[in-house]
Amino acid sequence: MDVRGSPPDAEVVALVLAGDTEAFGIVIRRYEAGLLRFATRMLGSRDAAADAVAESLVRAYRHLASCREPTRLRTWLYRIVTNRCKSHLVRRSVADVPLDDAPPVADPSDNEAALERADQLQLVERALADLSPDKREAFVLKHVEGLSYEEMAAVTGERIPTLKMRVHRAREALLKVLEDHT
Amino acid sequence: MNAIDPRMHQALDGELDWDAVPAELRRTVARLTAAAELLAAPPPGLVPSVERRVMAEIRRPAPSRARLLMRWFVTPRAIIFRVRPAWSLAFAVVAAAVTLFTVGDQGPELAEHEGIAQFVGRFPEAQSVHVVGTFNDWRPGSIALKDQDHDGVWRATVVLPAGTYEYMFVVDGERWVPDHLAERLVADDFGRENSIVIVRPARR
Repeated sequence: MDVRGSPPDAEVVALVLAGDTEAFGIVIRRYEAGLLRFATRMLGSRDAAADAVAESLVRAYRHLASCREPTRLRTWLYRIVTNRCKSHLVRRSVADVPLDDAPPVADPSDNEAALERADQLQLVERALADLSPDKREAFVLKHVEGLSYEEMAAVTGERIPTLKMRVHRAREALLKVLEDHT
Repeated sequence: MNAIDPRMHQALDGELDWDAVPAELRRTVARLTAAAELLAAPPPGLVPSVERRVMAEIRRPAPSRARLLMRWFVTPRAIIFRVRPAWSLAFAVVAAAVTLFTVGDQGPELAEHEGIAQFVGRFPEAQSVHVVGTFNDWRPGSIALKDQDHDGVWRATVVLPAGTYEYMFVVDGERWVPDHLAERLVADDFGRENSIVIVRPARR
């Protein structure tokens, strides 16, 4: 089903709360790509990210009535996934973050530009995995998911100056890695 | 590495016009932007959708009444006794006498893994205050605080199994507020802040 042109979030939430379980599929199709990408970048593993997002969406469905601002459903979902990822990381040492979504081994048919892009991605992913979870979360929310600092504050519960500081430190750390590999 | 030019952050945060960014710094900004774009691009290979899995889970029928009843029986719960002040005074006198003449200086009898939690909150305008938390499945109305001397300070003392619990106060049946005097506060998944109480076993 194409979710473009489908009802706005507040309407979908109202449908689900009125008993239309299937309407929750609209929420999933609308946000799962972003949530999976965010969780993958946070956990460094596509399988762990899929588990975290699936668990978060089930949790979101069960507690949908407590979403006080259905118009800001996206922020609310990111908050649940963020907390799930944090719980996951607490149980696992950050140093153990696997990179199972690293680019596949180069195919001979790949051109030089694609190979360089794959190398660069691997470098950036490793630099991201070396950041503390707080800085990684701030950088990914800001630069990968494109959230504003206000939205990030709603997702993380942190103050905007704190988030800015984390984003700045993350940028500096990433830049250092990129420069060292020039 | 040289110190980072703060204009780089200003440019990336949209606080500085692109025209005001020197050419050398533009290359640095472009480099970070390109790195972020790499991370934002869909990862190579198929990313499995979680839709089927989530929908299958939420379509599952709710647990039967028998199952819920069984769960209720096996879940540890706080037991609250409510008595009239006159009876409580009489009970206190009897309890004090029993304690003085039979138990000596020992405290109240608690099971091995139980402890006492005291909840205190100042709500001068409140008509009712309850405490809800992980110890009572967040059910409003089951544990009421009392303001015996009408000074706006509401109190309840509860015997709970030893453990760490999250809780909030429910004021006048509708306003959920954390206890800022709690040992700790923790953010929950829904944008609220829960208080933490640690109940230690009275007997080790």
